[in-house]
Amino acid sequence: MSEPLLRVENLKTQFFTEAGTVRAVDGISFTVEAGEIVGLVGESGAGKSVASMSLLRLVENPGEIVAGEITYKGETIFAVEEGPDGELRERDDVLSDEEIRRRIRGNEIAVIFQDPMESLNPVFTVGGQLREFIELNRDLSNDEAREEAIEMLREVGIPDPEQRYDEYPHQFSGGMRQRVLIAMALACEPSLIIADEPTTALDVTVEGQIIELVRDLQEKYGTSFIWVTHDMGVVAEICDRVNVMYLGEIVEQAPVDDLFYHTKHPYTKALLNSMPRPDRTVGELEPIEGMMPEAISPPAGCRFHPRCPDAREVCQRVHPDARTVAQAGDYPHRAACVVHDAFDVGYDESVPLEGEPQLTAGTPSSDDADSVDAPEVREDGGEDRE
Amino acid sequence: MGLLRYTVYRFLQAIPVLIGITIITFLLANLAPGDPVRLMLAGQEVDEELIETIEQRYGLDRPLYERYVTYMAGLIQGDFGHSIHRNRPVTDLMLNRVGPTLLLVLSAYAFALVTAIPLGILAATRRNEPTDHVSRIVALIGVSTPSFWIGIMLILVFAVQLGWLPSTGLVYPWRGPDGYDWIETWPELIYQTIRHLLLPMVALGTLQMATLMRVERTQMIESLQGEYVKLARAYGVPERTILRKHAFQVAQLPIITIVGLNLSTALGGAVLIETVFNINGMGRLFIEAIQQLDYQLIMGITIVIATMFVIGVIITDIAYAYVDPRVTYGEGE
Repeated sequence: MSEPLLRVENLKTQFFTEAGTVRAVDGISFTVEAGEIVGLVGESGAGKSVASMSLLRLVENPGEIVAGEITYKGETIFAVEEGPDGELRERDDVLSDEEIRRRIRGNEIAVIFQDPMESLNPVFTVGGQLREFIELNRDLSNDEAREEAIEMLREVGIPDPEQRYDEYPHQFSGGMRQRVLIAMALACEPSLIIADEPTTALDVTVEGQIIELVRDLQEKYGTSFIWVTHDMGVVAEICDRVNVMYLGEIVEQAPVDDLFYHTKHPYTKALLNSMPRPDRTVGELEPIEGMMPEAISPPAGCRFHPRCPDAREVCQRVHPDARTVAQAGDYPHRAACVVHDAFDVGYDESVPLEGEPQLTAGTPSSDDADSVDAPEVREDGGEDRE
Repeated sequence: MGLLRYTVYRFLQAIPVLIGITIITFLLANLAPGDPVRLMLAGQEVDEELIETIEQRYGLDRPLYERYVTYMAGLIQGDFGHSIHRNRPVTDLMLNRVGPTLLLVLSAYAFALVTAIPLGILAATRRNEPTDHVSRIVALIGVSTPSFWIGIMLILVFAVQLGWLPSTGLVYPWRGPDGYDWIETWPELIYQTIRHLLLPMVALGTLQMATLMRVERTQMIESLQGEYVKLARAYGVPERTILRKHAFQVAQLPIITIVGLNLSTALGGAVLIETVFNINGMGRLFIEAIQQLDYQLIMGITIVIATMFVIGVIITDIAYAYVDPRVTYGEGE
């Protein structure tokens, strides 16, 4: 397979707070191919937004990307190497801040934020903001950018774009504002758009329209998307491949159908069971018990084990990485759960944990030596095949 | 409603407020203990007949509401009555004094804005760094030090010790070089105006500067954390532009409000500063009128200062509506 549009390897982003280091993104790897929509799913606090902002090197203080490699169209957005003294330093081929700002942000990778109410500047006209970003990211004159802005507003389904161009954000409804933000992203003609929960703040009916719109436009322009959401329903509707995040890690990674029909991780299963589905009649929804622990003191072993219905003794000790557990077409189906054969750590012989899963946040690792990473087992050769 | 109609509307709205001000002022002045006629004749032997004549002449023997109507009738024609103590029309007395006060207050504001906004932004961008701490201390001192004390200190240092700047009076540019026998050309006049204005301007403006600086800092910090700033960054807008345009514009809205509302403090402060610097403005006239119990003059000045404040607030509202597109003009379209 050729080099993907975006490749993220073992990305780690941490926040250095007074209370300690928050490992918001803790070693995630994924790829985005040209023209596909890749989902990044998880509960609030799983690190989805931080992960997506890391791709633009826009992590706010006191956060910092500390490790990993981000490659976009063969260019290095972030990478570290070991210096002569053994310390980590940025590699020489990493794009400078200025290059990231000029060449990547907006014109290569654009963003649609969650809150359309807050994302537009209240004191400038919608058209003016749109035009500013177009001028900045494409070589267009003032008038041409204006034309383009009006054209894009029409494209995203805003009626009377010429007239609405001169209106202010407060004169637009939430759904219309989200359309403006989509117009903004598309108008810069990027190859990748990060959509950070773009429909969460909207009504369900409007959400449907927006998803429809994005799907049409995606087909027309062939833009790739990273779709950040906590809503499995949206994922099913729009994504080609999905990464499920839990506490800063990707716990399952698969094409969308495989994820839904051959779920390999208990957390994904729990997520699916916790939402209403028209294709299954259930008496009651099953919420995931307990709260997601804080990324500042993740539980030892598997991070999900305190809430996992299938947790066994071994889950408290072994910290699984995401391994290929099945093959799904061209892509591996990865999961980070020791129940699979790819992990030869003795799950089957292990004693199930007593009683109900814990209802409170997980016990932080008191002694890190208790937690061991799963030993490398490579039974299938599909590990590195993309 | 358009901006023009909104402006007219706001000014019309001010009319009841102004009438209210005249009623309160009139009542306070006339119901206050002490009889102006007897005060006028203080020290003389009380001649009941003379008192009656004087009361008749000034209409003081008539009922209060009649006197108020008469007063208002004059007011509408720009006649604030007659200063008993100075034996001159109150209108003339005030007209001579409005200019200096306005010059002082406006320049103090200009000074406050020109210094506070850049300093506030600097403090916001260097949050919790030494620059920020210094600005916080300066602001604290500025807010807690009385303006007259600052005025006296400025005189001591810059006028008395260093001898750089004059300590008293103002030079009024509207009189032209001909108005002063020691000034010949326009540039010289402007130069002298500024020289004389510097110390009282700083003394009066420091409090405003300190307040505005803190507000500017807070607003900029908040604005810089806004989603729209995040969006601008994500689209590769340079940090300079974000600061100057995206964050700045939003942060200025509360500044406008504060400028308008602080006008009362500034006008009050002008009274003290005019006294410290021997400036013949409204403030000093006010103090003198109070000392002399010159009721007509006190009423006139109170009404004029209150009107200035009302106009200031209206201008603030209009400016706000002009800058912030979200402000709706009254009862919609």
